[in-house]
Amino acid sequence: MARPPNRPLSPFMFPVWYRFQITSALSILHRLTGIGLAVGSILLAWWLISVAAGGEWFEATHAFLVSPIGVLLLFLWSVAFFYHLCNGVRHLAWDAGYGFELRSAYRSGYAVLAVTALLTGLTWLYVFLA
Amino acid sequence: MPKSPISANTTALRDETMLRHVRQLGSARDGLSEWRLQRMTAVALIPLGLYFAASVLWLAKSDHLTAATWLASPVTALLVMLFVLAGIAHALVGLRSVLLDYVHTRARLVAAGLIIRAAVVILAGASVLAILKLFLGH
Repeated sequence: MARPPNRPLSPFMFPVWYRFQITSALSILHRLTGIGLAVGSILLAWWLISVAAGGEWFEATHAFLVSPIGVLLLFLWSVAFFYHLCNGVRHLAWDAGYGFELRSAYRSGYAVLAVTALLTGLTWLYVFLA
Repeated sequence: MPKSPISANTTALRDETMLRHVRQLGSARDGLSEWRLQRMTAVALIPLGLYFAASVLWLAKSDHLTAATWLASPVTALLVMLFVLAGIAHALVGLRSVLLDYVHTRARLVAAGLIIRAAVVILAGASVLAILKLFLGH
């Protein structure tokens, strides 16, 4: 019996076997940001505990969050949060049956990127200016 | 003589599953309830997430007393608790669907699922306990 040819297997098709498309890139990004936010929930729980514990615990957590690594983590968290939020709304619209045409899928994709950049930008502008 | 597919199904599947087949509702296992949980928490997380992000931004440069007083007030305590619980339930469904796509061995899938569930329960419990401590101590 002849062995089947060595075909590429899902899900690792992108970007080696598939041409780059904004729609599939955004879909993968939705998953990645979701995983990132799940990991970030450790930081959230840690922060809540440090507020409840107070004293040195809070000081140490605060010192970590305002350090370069802490700010980088918070920046990544904010990008992931706003992206997952905006693209999540896009997904909910699809679940309700809206925006399936290729044109609208592309348009809403670019809109998600624009709103994510806007919200992230405004957030950090507020942090550094206010 | 071959068994008819219907009698084979009645022995293999639960009544509930049969009902879903009859009604043509799709998933034969727990997919529908997971799907629904993910969407319901997603909708809840839009206002809760925006509320939490705005609050944290407002707290960004305040001291411990301000943060503790804020978290101890009843409305905040409730909303932050709901945010954490909805977020963690949403994350659990999402992470499990990632595992289903990438972990192909039954034993590994079960093990990874257990680890994620344990982590999620600990995180949710610790967060709720922290909020309750502030709320009750207020």
